[in-house]
Amino acid sequence: MSLPASESDSLASRRSKKPKYSKFTQQELPACKPLLTPGIVIGAFSLIGVIFVPIGLASLAASQNIVELIDRYDAECVSANDKVGFIQDTKTDKACTRKITVPKPMKGPIHIYYQLENFYQNHRRYVKSRNDKQLLYKDAASTITNCEPEATSEDGGAPIVPCGLIAWSLFNDTYSFSLNKKAVEVNKKNIAWDSDKNKKFGSDVFPSNFQKGGLIGGAKLNEKIPLSEQEDLIVWMRTAALPTFRKLYGRIESDIMASDEITVVIQNNYNTYSFGGTKALVLSTTSWIGGRNNFIGVAYVAIGGICLFLAMGFVILYVIKPRALGDPNYLSWNKENPDHPN
Amino acid sequence: MKRFVYINDDSCRYSYCDNRISNTKYSLWNFLPKNLWEQFRRFMNQYFLLIACLQLWSRITPVSPATTWGPLIIIFIVSASKEAWDDYNRYLSDKKANERKIWLVKDGIHRQIKAQEIHVGDVVWLHENDEIPCDLVLIGTSDPQGICYVETAALDGETDLKTRIIPTISANLSVEQLGKVKGVVECPNPDNDIRRFDANMRLFLPIIDNEKCPLTINNTLLQSCYLRYTEWACGVAVYTGNETKSGMSRGAAEPKLTAADAIIDKLTIAIFMFQIVVVLVLGYFGNAWKYTQGLKQWYLMYPVEGEAPWYDFSIIPLRFELLCSIMIPISIKVTLDLAKGVYAKFIDWDEQMFDWETNTPAHSANTAISEDLGHVEYILSDKTGTLTENKMILKRCCISGTLYGNDNGDALNDVRLVNAISSNDPDVIKFLLVMALCNTVVPIKSNDDTVSYKAQSQDEEALVNAAANLNMMLISKDSSTAEICFNGSKFRYELLDILEFTSDRKRMSVVVKEGQTGKILLLSKGADEALLPLACPGQQIQKYLEAVEMYSQLGLRTLCLGWHDLKESEYKEWSKNFQEASCSLDNREFKIAEVCHSLERDLHILGFTAIEDCLQDGVPETIKLLRNAGINVWMLTGDKQNTAIQIGLLCNLITSEPNSQLLSISGKTEEDILRSLERALLIMKNTSETKDLAFVLDGWALEVILKHSKESFTRLAMLSKTAICCRMTPLQKAQLVAILKSAGYLTLAIGDGGNDVRMIQEANIGVGISGREGLQAARAADYSIGKFKFLKRLILIHGRYSYNRTAFISQYSFYKSLLICFIQILFAFLSGLSGTSLFNSISLMAYNVFYTSLPVMTIIFDKDISETTVMQYPQILLHSQAGRLLNPTTFCGWFGCSLYHALVIFFITICAYSDEKSEMQELSMVALSGCIWLQAFVVTMDTNSFTYPQILLIWGNFVAFYMINLILSAIPSLQLYTIMFHLCSQPSYWISMALTVAVGMGPVVAFRYFKNLYQPSAINILQQIEQSNGSIQTSGNLESARANLLNLLTGSRKNRDSYYHPLLSDSAESARTD
Repeated sequence: MSLPASESDSLASRRSKKPKYSKFTQQELPACKPLLTPGIVIGAFSLIGVIFVPIGLASLAASQNIVELIDRYDAECVSANDKVGFIQDTKTDKACTRKITVPKPMKGPIHIYYQLENFYQNHRRYVKSRNDKQLLYKDAASTITNCEPEATSEDGGAPIVPCGLIAWSLFNDTYSFSLNKKAVEVNKKNIAWDSDKNKKFGSDVFPSNFQKGGLIGGAKLNEKIPLSEQEDLIVWMRTAALPTFRKLYGRIESDIMASDEITVVIQNNYNTYSFGGTKALVLSTTSWIGGRNNFIGVAYVAIGGICLFLAMGFVILYVIKPRALGDPNYLSWNKENPDHPN
Repeated sequence: MKRFVYINDDSCRYSYCDNRISNTKYSLWNFLPKNLWEQFRRFMNQYFLLIACLQLWSRITPVSPATTWGPLIIIFIVSASKEAWDDYNRYLSDKKANERKIWLVKDGIHRQIKAQEIHVGDVVWLHENDEIPCDLVLIGTSDPQGICYVETAALDGETDLKTRIIPTISANLSVEQLGKVKGVVECPNPDNDIRRFDANMRLFLPIIDNEKCPLTINNTLLQSCYLRYTEWACGVAVYTGNETKSGMSRGAAEPKLTAADAIIDKLTIAIFMFQIVVVLVLGYFGNAWKYTQGLKQWYLMYPVEGEAPWYDFSIIPLRFELLCSIMIPISIKVTLDLAKGVYAKFIDWDEQMFDWETNTPAHSANTAISEDLGHVEYILSDKTGTLTENKMILKRCCISGTLYGNDNGDALNDVRLVNAISSNDPDVIKFLLVMALCNTVVPIKSNDDTVSYKAQSQDEEALVNAAANLNMMLISKDSSTAEICFNGSKFRYELLDILEFTSDRKRMSVVVKEGQTGKILLLSKGADEALLPLACPGQQIQKYLEAVEMYSQLGLRTLCLGWHDLKESEYKEWSKNFQEASCSLDNREFKIAEVCHSLERDLHILGFTAIEDCLQDGVPETIKLLRNAGINVWMLTGDKQNTAIQIGLLCNLITSEPNSQLLSISGKTEEDILRSLERALLIMKNTSETKDLAFVLDGWALEVILKHSKESFTRLAMLSKTAICCRMTPLQKAQLVAILKSAGYLTLAIGDGGNDVRMIQEANIGVGISGREGLQAARAADYSIGKFKFLKRLILIHGRYSYNRTAFISQYSFYKSLLICFIQILFAFLSGLSGTSLFNSISLMAYNVFYTSLPVMTIIFDKDISETTVMQYPQILLHSQAGRLLNPTTFCGWFGCSLYHALVIFFITICAYSDEKSEMQELSMVALSGCIWLQAFVVTMDTNSFTYPQILLIWGNFVAFYMINLILSAIPSLQLYTIMFHLCSQPSYWISMALTVAVGMGPVVAFRYFKNLYQPSAINILQQIEQSNGSIQTSGNLESARANLLNLLTGSRKNRDSYYHPLLSDSAESARTD
């Protein structure tokens, strides 16, 4: 390499094996090397704080504006001591009337949810117990893979449509609402996703052999209505990931004034008693953030606050103990500190 | 066992294999099973196969079997195709060699056949520049003297021409006779020793001659050499196909594992253990949940007690096993192999390691061990040709007590010597005669009548050249005569015998007969300690010893020359013994040495030659830099102690007295040596670190020590940063490497010659210098470079970066796998411990092999600090030597980070997506997006320098994640259908992601900031210096700062054992603290 230019040229022309130069091969690509300097770090933390706090407050406000009424009814609707016996008895009248007072005006549409707690829709035995092909295609009625133990009817072995534990355990409490003694119409249309109705559940697939066995799980289905229009089923079959979940029951399109009293007649059919689950009826308005959920708002305000606090702390620390970055003189300080690991 | 080869006789030809060469590892039908078998020998592959098989059982698999089978098959196909491609290329080159046309002589008829059709016993006819197809015993050449020249570069890497002689027995055969000759060659069974062929031959035709004629390696033409400067030659095939010497010496080298690989393996096993524990715990609680809660959950329809199969209890643990199997990243091996391939390419491409003079670029033959370069602890270097140029020039000499060349440092121009020659001083003449004749140099006359010399040893070439300059010119030489031109008149000498040089004898002699007088002379040259004891009594040796001492002080290589008159009868008798010894089939070398010894006695010592071997360019600076980097450099040489010490001083290996002390381990008896070893050990232990201590020992001392006191020597070796070992045999060099290796150190051996091959192969890393002594070392080595000085770049730049990068890639691979696995485990607590997978099969598969493996590859462009900074502060290398970036402690950091991130992602997801939003598919995609967001930021955080490929890959991958999932969301048959559209249109999704990043990264940033500012590591400080200065300038103000920094760096070395506390008790670091 110390050769004069002319000689090195002649060498190069003599079929040199010298590797070709490029910034890539020599690992000399231009690079930017950001360091965690006080300026950048304090700036970043302040920025996060400044952005997060308003977003948090906005979310919190949106969430707080949502009116949400939760009425847990599983205990009150069964007066008998043997709750499981009561619920499993098909003959008793299970109607139950609940009165809910609305604290704040609710703008329609008001979503009606049922909420189950301690119900494991995400259990591996449960979540897999369905067959998507069978739900969609008319010809696939006998495709019952994964549906065990609710795959075929007990007597003839005919395939159950829709098969599997999920469909079998379809929620079957019903609610009828009246406001100030006047019945309120519940819109049960379009409670399921359009995509599910169009692409996941067939419009020419009809329930058959469903809930015909000795053991009745949940709701029965009208065999005249195709699966794509059985919206309660479609909603139910979008399994929840958490053991506490809400599912859309319907909507009330009208507004409800403050201090109105809603009367709900509940047909309390669904058995959550044998496993200690709870049931609740939820009425809620919505906003851009979805349902009422303070978590995001609180978390944003908290994180934003902590970031601002940290940024301030860094500034104070930097003022008290200023350190020039990259000044190796500080290393001597390091050296004097004997229990310092480095 | 012996093999009898009947020349030109068909009766026995089929008892040996034909000449088909096969270097292939596989054949068409055994490829699949053999390759699979090879691949399944690795623990990781076995593990993944087990997992994949378990996944086929649909009752327990949480996800589709494709999640493991897919990547597993891809990985297998990738490594199998690589193997297949290599093997196919080997097959092609074999085929080419096998189908080469070769001339054969049979019953006087020449015909052409394919090389693969040659059988043992055939007579092969070669022409000039032909490649030799199999191992042949030479029986005839075009040369009237019966010699021919071969180039053996392909075999031993030596570029000079070697002379081959036909055995005396076939010397007088005519060309016609050669075609019909019959006879038998008795030779040993095939072996791989290319320097040895102890056989003999008898010819039947045309004259029955029952005398056995000895054959040596000099009578052979070995496969893959080339015939040069000889019109034709013919020989009998003795070894064919894969049984030739070159075929036997081939063989796959054992793959070397790097220290990083070893740690990764250990971590893998640790994670495996952890996984088993997790599985057992979760499995136990899962079963407990099932019996306490699950049976009550009527909608799960658990079968009634008694109907369950007997293996029911194992279902849930097995499900968790499968769920947790992603803890061990399936992609880590592929990713690392890919990265290592790139490191190797960077070495090959490096322009700054290109040697202009020899036109050689650096090359890494072994692509798998680059990161080990980054924590080399001991460098064991050869001297000649490695530290020095191996360009020998005679600078001084001492003839019968007169020292020439002392005044001007150049004996060739010393007037006194020129005068002595012109006045025909008999001793001087004899001295020159020995220089010109006692060697194995081949003079080659070029067209313009100038003579150039081809020699196997650089010393011999220097001597012959010097003699020629002093008017004693060797003009021609063949097997039996040599012609010398002295002062214009020619003299003929008959070369009767050559008593060859061996490393045991350390001397060589020739027996010549003066053409005119008929006097028989024995001319010897050799190492002083090999020749002086043979001097005839009464000579003044003292003067010579002083001269040798002085020459060694100057770093010159000395050779002693001597001669001895032989009586005709004495020679005859000896010659018979010599013949016998040369014929013996077993123990030949020893017997020959015995016989030679009987002749080499009562020598008249003529004097000494002193040859200078200049230091290579940049050697002292390189050694200083490497020693500053905390690497201990040892010099192993075959040279004399004084020469070695002088070279050591010249190249900064040792410094002169006040700062350092040289401990000599030597003695006259074994006890003396052992005592001096103990003393050296004591001094080493009790001296402060500021003083450089080095020890010196020679081959004999090492032999004694290894026999009696290996442990103390190992202790000494661990204490001493520098050592000079002289008079080492190749085996001893390798033994020293082995001692350091067994003490747990990472060794690098560097050398250039055939005598370094063993140590290069023994060391963790072998570096060969493509030097003057041929390419043998470079071929055996893992890395070959043109000059010693490139070693600093190889270690400090390439080794260091490679180690940093591998440390990140491997730990990151575990991090991302653990991250997703922890989320699955957390989810298990919310799904009744039933083993439901939160993520769907596609996401799981793509996460490991696609989403997370691309960004991590960007780290192969990363540089924590610039090359100039590394070169300026080589002490920074200590960071990687101590394994600081990849050890159980750092891994715990990553482990903790992945646990923390999993918690952050999981809790933010389930809180933000609770109640009516808790749809399975959506929740799973929110969690997955959280992982992707965080991992992109983690990679960004750990990248020190951003180049555009890095930015492109990290954020391009990020964009790709969304693109892919949006596309998947458009396919109705997938579970993912419309999910991403839903999510992307929700503000709360994006808000959750921002929250995840802020909570996940905030503490990491804050922690790093604190550390950088208030507890900076040396790397942090250097980065800051780099940033604040733009480039580092050593101004006066910075000088003191730099001193401080160096203090810190060296200080950190002292503490390096206490720097971290290994978790695994058998980690490399803890093993060596004792």
